[in-house]
Amino acid sequence: MRPENYQARAHPPSHEYELNFGPNHPGIEGNYALRVRLHGDRVVAARAEGGYLHRGFEKLMEGRLWIQNIALVPRICVPDPSPMEVCYALSVEALCGIEVPPRAQWIRVMQLEMSRIAAHLFTFGGHAATTGLYTNMFWGVADRDRVLDRFEELTGGRVYSIFNLPGGVRRDLPDGFLERLSGLLDYLESRLEDYDELFFRNRVFVRRARGVGVMSQQQALEWGVTGPNLRATGLAFDVRRDDPYLVYDQLDFDIVTEEAGDALARNLVRRGELRQSIRILRQVIERLPAIDGPVRAPIPNPLAWRVPAGETYTRIESSKGELAYYVVSTGGEKPYRVHVRGPSSMHAVQVLERLVVGSRLEDIAQIMFSLDACPPEVDR
Amino acid sequence: MAKIRHDDRGSLLAPLKALGFFTRAPVTETLAPRPASLNYRGFHVNDWSQCIGCGTCQRICDNAAITMVTIPSLPQDPARGIRNQRPAIDYGRCCWCGLCVDICPSGSIALTREYIHICRESELDSYFVLPDPNGIHGQPFPAGWAKSEVSELIDPARQPMKELPAPTRIQGFDEIVQGYEPQQAIDEAARCVQCGLCHEACPTHMHAPEYIRAIWRGDAEEAVRQIYRTNPFAHVCGRVCTHRCEQACSIGNRGEPLAIRWLKRHAMDSVPDERVRELVTQDSVAAPSGRRVAIVGSGPAGLTAAFDLARHGHAVTVYEALARPGGMPRYGIPAYRLPDDRLDADIAVIEAQGVEIRCNTPIGAELTMETLRQQYDAVVLAIGLQLGRSTRIPGSGHRDVHTAVELLRRIREGEALAPPKRVVIIGGGNVAMDIARSLARLQMRRHGAIDITVCALEDFDHFPADPTELKEAREEGVRVLASRGPKEIVIDADGGLGGLKTLGVTSVFDEQGRFAPRYNHEDEQLHEAAWVVEAIGQISDISILGDSLSERLEWDRGRLRVDENGRTAEPWLWSAGDMVRGPDVVHAVADGHRVAASIHQALQQHTEAGS
Amino acid sequence: MSEHPEGHGPAYEHLRARKSLAEILQSAAEFERKAHQFYTGLIPRVRKNLRYLVEELAAEEKTHYELFQRLAEDPEARQQIQERIAVPREDHRFSDYIQLPDLGDNPDDQAILQYALGREDAAMKQYRELAQNAPPGPIRQLFEYLANEETAHKLELEKRYYELVYGGSRMVPRV
Repeated sequence: MRPENYQARAHPPSHEYELNFGPNHPGIEGNYALRVRLHGDRVVAARAEGGYLHRGFEKLMEGRLWIQNIALVPRICVPDPSPMEVCYALSVEALCGIEVPPRAQWIRVMQLEMSRIAAHLFTFGGHAATTGLYTNMFWGVADRDRVLDRFEELTGGRVYSIFNLPGGVRRDLPDGFLERLSGLLDYLESRLEDYDELFFRNRVFVRRARGVGVMSQQQALEWGVTGPNLRATGLAFDVRRDDPYLVYDQLDFDIVTEEAGDALARNLVRRGELRQSIRILRQVIERLPAIDGPVRAPIPNPLAWRVPAGETYTRIESSKGELAYYVVSTGGEKPYRVHVRGPSSMHAVQVLERLVVGSRLEDIAQIMFSLDACPPEVDR
Repeated sequence: MAKIRHDDRGSLLAPLKALGFFTRAPVTETLAPRPASLNYRGFHVNDWSQCIGCGTCQRICDNAAITMVTIPSLPQDPARGIRNQRPAIDYGRCCWCGLCVDICPSGSIALTREYIHICRESELDSYFVLPDPNGIHGQPFPAGWAKSEVSELIDPARQPMKELPAPTRIQGFDEIVQGYEPQQAIDEAARCVQCGLCHEACPTHMHAPEYIRAIWRGDAEEAVRQIYRTNPFAHVCGRVCTHRCEQACSIGNRGEPLAIRWLKRHAMDSVPDERVRELVTQDSVAAPSGRRVAIVGSGPAGLTAAFDLARHGHAVTVYEALARPGGMPRYGIPAYRLPDDRLDADIAVIEAQGVEIRCNTPIGAELTMETLRQQYDAVVLAIGLQLGRSTRIPGSGHRDVHTAVELLRRIREGEALAPPKRVVIIGGGNVAMDIARSLARLQMRRHGAIDITVCALEDFDHFPADPTELKEAREEGVRVLASRGPKEIVIDADGGLGGLKTLGVTSVFDEQGRFAPRYNHEDEQLHEAAWVVEAIGQISDISILGDSLSERLEWDRGRLRVDENGRTAEPWLWSAGDMVRGPDVVHAVADGHRVAASIHQALQQHTEAGS
Repeated sequence: MSEHPEGHGPAYEHLRARKSLAEILQSAAEFERKAHQFYTGLIPRVRKNLRYLVEELAAEEKTHYELFQRLAEDPEARQQIQERIAVPREDHRFSDYIQLPDLGDNPDDQAILQYALGREDAAMKQYRELAQNAPPGPIRQLFEYLANEETAHKLELEKRYYELVYGGSRMVPRV
């Protein structure tokens, strides 16, 4: 909401007041706001104020050729862009009935797990910063950059890979890529203990995060919560396991859960998932060299491509939760409708509005970060 | 994975653990610039010598970041499919997706491994860049994301055309090309990137991108409408056009060009003839003008002019010396390339516009050009190149020495031509291939075996005939000898034809690139044959003009001089087609349009002045 | 080419009898002048569309005879001749394989060129023979020079002939 549009409301009880929390605030800079009602420093009500990042992706996609949207969708989630392009590609492939070559499927899994690691490192860092632990943020961002180095090598782009096309991926692996990826994993593993010491066992963080923003499993299910936020309430639901896509059914990994459903539990789930992603990547490094064949199935000329009429709801597990594309084609050269189910849109609106109630002002940012909400996913 | 025991308060000395970091290498990043990855998608570079200005990058760009800019100093060559435009990039819009690189038909665009561009406020326009090989900062930078076979977005292979195999087709004059299946046509049309280079290369500027798109959408009637915007010889050009469009096709830079001619053929064949007539006649609403135009010659040039003029409301009469209309497509092109009924279909559409065609009506002694001048408001001379040249080497006057065009005409007229068992053909162009392959069929029918030798002056690197023609002729058993120059025709003692003596040709062009073959006089061969057919060049029979008119007209090195609209020195007479432009069907069509437009304009002015 | 209409014999004898460079050049110029006259006379006999060809041939003969005339009057002629025969022309000998036409009424372009080729060919051969039979020295050099000139002209005509007659199959239409 723009400040100039803000009409101050009459405050009935004088001990309650309204505060515009953001759009510039420690939780997420510059693009997402909350209007909170406070009693002292206790939140009694909150209203999510999104729209600062609204670029109309879903509408834009209706005006672009099927292939052009590949360059658009990564922008829907900056910290974790790969699931966007993979999921969009999967949905177009579902509509067209394109069979993706196995090698491309393995490369996609690799890309997705690399992206998950980068996203989680970012989130730890961000959460730590909301509790004043900036060292962790610096470390997290610096180590994420090492993952981005590998992204740059693999895809030619550090953040927006734009590496997938419907049909597969745009390039095969560079020579020696898997060895360097393996080296990265070695490095990250060597850092895990440091992260534990610095953050997950840090008493400042633990005491601040424990018992904050608690959500029960039932609440989570009612509110449409997915991903680590859901698993932090003890439900082992993960699209990779429960509705496998690509080659996840051939991979060995655990679904990390916690029981407490608070900010601490959500971070601990991510801590575990970082390790699981490393585990998955180790398997990819071992098995990918034996999977030969093309990295892309042939697709028609992108300038003359009609996708058969139909609709699809294609979902994958992003670092934030269940990401899905609902795509409708009427057989045209452009999508008729694309809806993006960004998991953050649930987490950052109905969930956040409820979880902050009862918490203290200084925990709002922390709760927001513990939900790992990505504002552009809300705004789309 | 070990769970963290948060209740464990740890040792009092735990903070001392941090001392351990002193023993570890610091986690730092150097400030020194580092090279970007080999695949990096940095700024654009464009090899201008390779870039053809097709603008496909502009069409794929999802952010409208690319604008095609005309560079007047660069070569502009529509025939070779080169436009003097180059992409300019607006880095305020570009998202570095690299789709422009992946789709580029020439492979000229790449992205460099350059990371950084910074500028002051006064240099904001430096984000608008016209990339050349030196990139954004004027210095060559190694390419990162570049064209690769893996990322190629356009299928380089064209849809295969179903054709009769050589053993079958040699049995008769059935059409060799069988046409695309509907799905094949859609798949082939789908390869088009809509660059429009074909449209520019086509002499009559056919709306190929539009009809290809219509075929891709499955709308054959729309394709027919688009075809008829510029070409009433739709079936003919769908079969025997010299398809300059395909030479210019941007996809041909890295793969096989689109089969534009076959797509046109497909569109025409998939709409019934009556429906084509309806579609074409629908929008023809001109009121009769009261003007009369005579056209001499019913080939592509004459009939195209007739088509246009009739649609403008003029009364058009076409005079044809031979028994049937069509000109060279009728009497010069073998039926296995162009069946009569397809030509008839085209002509029927033209006649449906109100054109009257009078066959068996030669201009000359009885009906003179002067009569036409008196009876009509305008006259078009479009008689083509119907006479074959002779080599006039010794012996070439023998009765068994023929010219190709004459034999082709006799075959098409239905004469039961009886070629001997051995024939030698002089020439290496498409006409030589046409007569060789036609006689091969007749030999097969008569003798059950083929013995045809084609002697061409050119070597195979400079062979004048279409590669397809050459390939198919050889498949059919025609022997093609390159670099053989005719020396003399051998006549044996009893006056019969013994064969052709040729000399080896050592080079075909001189230093200036002029056609000037050199012979090796030691390398002499005798090709025994009972017939020699000369297929070396054609001329126009302009004797029909008569001496007086010939004198009044202006000439340009043997050819009738016309202005850019085809008008001769005589204000009532226009000329079009092969006789002024050289032999080519689609040029003749283009010429017919040009002349018709000029006549229509002249008649309108005349009407306005007179009323 | 012995049946050449200009007659090989008398001209040959005539030239062989000349002793000075100037005399020979004068005679050569006279042959060219006659050729020029011949082509000029042919112009009205051909149809208008082909007149350009005869006009060109006439003009070329005229430049030739003017050149020989100038040389005959030029005291430095010998020097120039020596320079110009330093590059002997190679004869491609196509003209051997072309029948000499009968230039009747209304000859066509091919016949005119055939005729011109025959003329140049005969002249070339005649000068070559004279050069061979002359003792080494300025006279031989002059005949060599004249043969060279005729060969050059013949080469040019041969190219034109090929472009005209064989050009049809490879003609690139003018857009």
